[in-house]
Amino acid sequence: MARKKNPGSKLSRREFLALVGTGTSVMAGAGFLTAKFSRRPVEQLIPYVVPPEDYIPGVAAYYNTVCNLCPAGCGITVRIREGRAKKIEGNPAHPVSQGGTCALGQSGLQVLYNPDRLQTPVTRRGERGTGDFHTVGWNSALTTVASHLDKLRLANRGAGVGLLTGDIRGHLDDLLIQFLGLMGSGRYLQYAFTNPTNLYSANAASFDTAQLPYYDIANSDFLLSFGADFLGMWVSPVSYSRAYGDFRQGRREGEDKGPRRQRGQLVQIEPRMSLTGANADIWVPAVPGTEGALALGIAHIIAGGAGRFAAALAEFDPPRVAEISGVEASTIERLARSFGDAKAPLAIGGGGAAAGTNGVPNLVAINLLNHLAGNIGREGGVVFNPKPAFGRTGMQRHGSYLDLLAFVEEIADVDDGVLIIAGTNPLYDFPGDERLVRALQRIPLVVGLSSFMDETMQYADIVLPVNSYLEGWGDDAPEPGVGMRVASISQPVVAPLYDTMDVGDVFIRLAQRMDRDMQRAMPWPDFHAYLRNAWRRMYDKRRDKLDYVDFDAFWTAVLEAGVWGETRRASQRNEFHAQVDYEPPVHAGNDVDYPWYFQPFVSQGFFDGRGANLPWQQELPDPMTSIVYGSWIELNPRTANELGVDEGDILEVSSPAGSLRAPVWITQGIRPDTVAMPIGQGHTSFGRYATGRGANPLSILSAQVDSRTGAFAWGATRVNLTPTGERIRFVKTGGWSRTLDRQILGPRSGETQEGGDHG
Amino acid sequence: MSVSVREALGAFKPAAIAVGIALAAYIAGWVAYEVFFPGTAPVQPIEFSHVIHAGDYQIDCQYCHIYAARSTTAGVPAVEKCMGCHKVIATDKPEIQKLTDYWNSRQAIPWIKVHDLADFVYFSHKRHVQAEVACQTCHGEVQTMARIERVAPLSMKWCVGCHEEREVENGRDCWTCHK
Repeated sequence: MARKKNPGSKLSRREFLALVGTGTSVMAGAGFLTAKFSRRPVEQLIPYVVPPEDYIPGVAAYYNTVCNLCPAGCGITVRIREGRAKKIEGNPAHPVSQGGTCALGQSGLQVLYNPDRLQTPVTRRGERGTGDFHTVGWNSALTTVASHLDKLRLANRGAGVGLLTGDIRGHLDDLLIQFLGLMGSGRYLQYAFTNPTNLYSANAASFDTAQLPYYDIANSDFLLSFGADFLGMWVSPVSYSRAYGDFRQGRREGEDKGPRRQRGQLVQIEPRMSLTGANADIWVPAVPGTEGALALGIAHIIAGGAGRFAAALAEFDPPRVAEISGVEASTIERLARSFGDAKAPLAIGGGGAAAGTNGVPNLVAINLLNHLAGNIGREGGVVFNPKPAFGRTGMQRHGSYLDLLAFVEEIADVDDGVLIIAGTNPLYDFPGDERLVRALQRIPLVVGLSSFMDETMQYADIVLPVNSYLEGWGDDAPEPGVGMRVASISQPVVAPLYDTMDVGDVFIRLAQRMDRDMQRAMPWPDFHAYLRNAWRRMYDKRRDKLDYVDFDAFWTAVLEAGVWGETRRASQRNEFHAQVDYEPPVHAGNDVDYPWYFQPFVSQGFFDGRGANLPWQQELPDPMTSIVYGSWIELNPRTANELGVDEGDILEVSSPAGSLRAPVWITQGIRPDTVAMPIGQGHTSFGRYATGRGANPLSILSAQVDSRTGAFAWGATRVNLTPTGERIRFVKTGGWSRTLDRQILGPRSGETQEGGDHG
Repeated sequence: MSVSVREALGAFKPAAIAVGIALAAYIAGWVAYEVFFPGTAPVQPIEFSHVIHAGDYQIDCQYCHIYAARSTTAGVPAVEKCMGCHKVIATDKPEIQKLTDYWNSRQAIPWIKVHDLADFVYFSHKRHVQAEVACQTCHGEVQTMARIERVAPLSMKWCVGCHEEREVENGRDCWTCHK
């Protein structure tokens, strides 16, 4: 190649060689560099400086504890790698969860690792509610609170100290009672608007039982559910969902208990189709609040004019009940016949049926059905629970909304009153009620114990950051039980991430900073020690019956299992004590100015709003609409037509108590005279994922309460709807409510398809 | 007028030769990098010699690599482990002084990883150690290496070869390693 190739080319031989040389070098260099930069980057091996003693890297450890995200008390197993929580699953040995979890339970990891966790104590700098806090040390914070409490106690004014908490069971409840007792105060209230106060009350009135019963859904063959969204978030959804599986299959999973019984039939009675309603065989949209009349109408047919209740039931003949409830007389008769003919019928009530002004009478009427069916204490029926292994029952612990108001106002009326708030967020639950905020403002010292700066914590003077449930100690006697005694242990699965401690630790340390008597009365180094002590006493009482060498062996076994139980059962007596009557529901707002019933509903994602700061829950498509990251209001197509709105159009929803804006979702699964909204969004303070997102339906509810218990009646408000002319596009994963001839739903065997849209 | 194919193609001959030379140069450059900078024996932050420790003093592999029989990862000894001896042994050597500096400032020594598998491969030391596969099988004669060098290709072909030869139970299943 030494010669010039192209005749007429202008290159000399020297130039040509130079060109070739340069080109070759450049290409060689290019190859060299490409090889260098396409090599996998070098990785480093970083050793420990000091090796860990409590885990082997690469090997997972599993700890059993109890989920704390709703009151069901499901036992969970958490997989830990290198001291980090990786996955939550149900504890297979736990009788409530039986190895299952719900969506909210799965998100516990996001509670633990939430970037908005409170990491240090803070005290208020600006006005209450302005969010102006600054960091202080634990010592300073505890000393401030302790000295305040000590002063009151030594002056015999300790009765001005009040404790407002969420649902707290187990020995922590005992510790708190003890602390307040030493203060000379009896002011201890547990409040959450989702507490099944009416259910407790109805069961006490009907059957004289102080516990929530165990509903044996698994073995029932006909389940009549009045508004109880048990596959969603009613009372104990994991347990019921599992039972539902057995219910539908006609036998328990994994067992061959003889021949399969009849596959269960589910009838759901509710004005708005819930997840459970979508799974039902028959969905009956009765007028909201009239469920009690419907139950009595069914009871009327079953009783057949005979028996103790004949007189009381006489007036609830099908035509009358049809008029009250909007359910056709033929349907009522059909339901009554099915209920009466079933081998193991079961009636349950909750949701909107229990959330009106007539919640208790409705639930009592539903209980009557169980009494008439004679299913008390029987398989597939209502099984009373024995007294819990320890602690007070819900009925003893929970306060109603009226109790809450009185509670806060009483403390506000005391000079130097102190209110300690832990694990409850009433300013979100019912932010519209001025009385609550005004009373709170009058209390000189408000101390909050929380993991997050929520709406209620914004009104505190000092906020103490507490352990999340995955970092702390505790125990639990779950309610409802499973027909026998269950006691669970909550243990830390990871070391606390931040400078936090358990609620129990806070009170022990407060006592340690008060006078000698308090110190002596609360001598434990921490809450863990207190817990062990309490369990040692339990062990000592049963030592002969327990097969363990000593307490340490017993304690280790309980920690490993996460749960301990006794087969002790309650006596099951089918005696009905309550008066049978129907109380018509009272709704705030007349039906002219406020034409629609307003039905807010709890979802498995957010529950009462506590799940809104968990991104997984925001991302979780709502089971009925598939909408994510937002709020919506559900309308019947007729309602939408009336208003001239379509999906996504924003409505102004106004009640006698306030108004909000929400985009429209159209569904046939709701009565035309009813609208519904999910609860949980619309936080004004709850971290980056929840704050300022969506709307809070609780904020426009009127202050209606149950006529018997004073519980907050969140299903007793009416609203008016006004189009705003604005609209949004929903972010949803599916949610076409109409089949549009796509033959998605084939005909069931033996039936012919009706053709066209089924919706 | 007709032109033969050879003549027509002839016009491209210079260009073709140029491309051929360029390609050859490129490949030569690549190969040069691989030959002169193989990266199989990187320089480490401290010139730790396995000859001294594993060879002369015959310290067992698992004395330092403590997780090998218990976990997927064998583990690299904690700085504390080194200091166990080197608090008093050879404290005058400059490399030991480097080590002591790390310990005194409670800093981890950033070793360069020599035996690395792709992230999509699951490898468990525990399985292999408990199957009595000698460390030297995959890591070479470590006790003769003043600086750790990768002598095995660690390719799938190489791994599967041994699994075939030893007829490893479930060891030829895709899922076993590509979980």
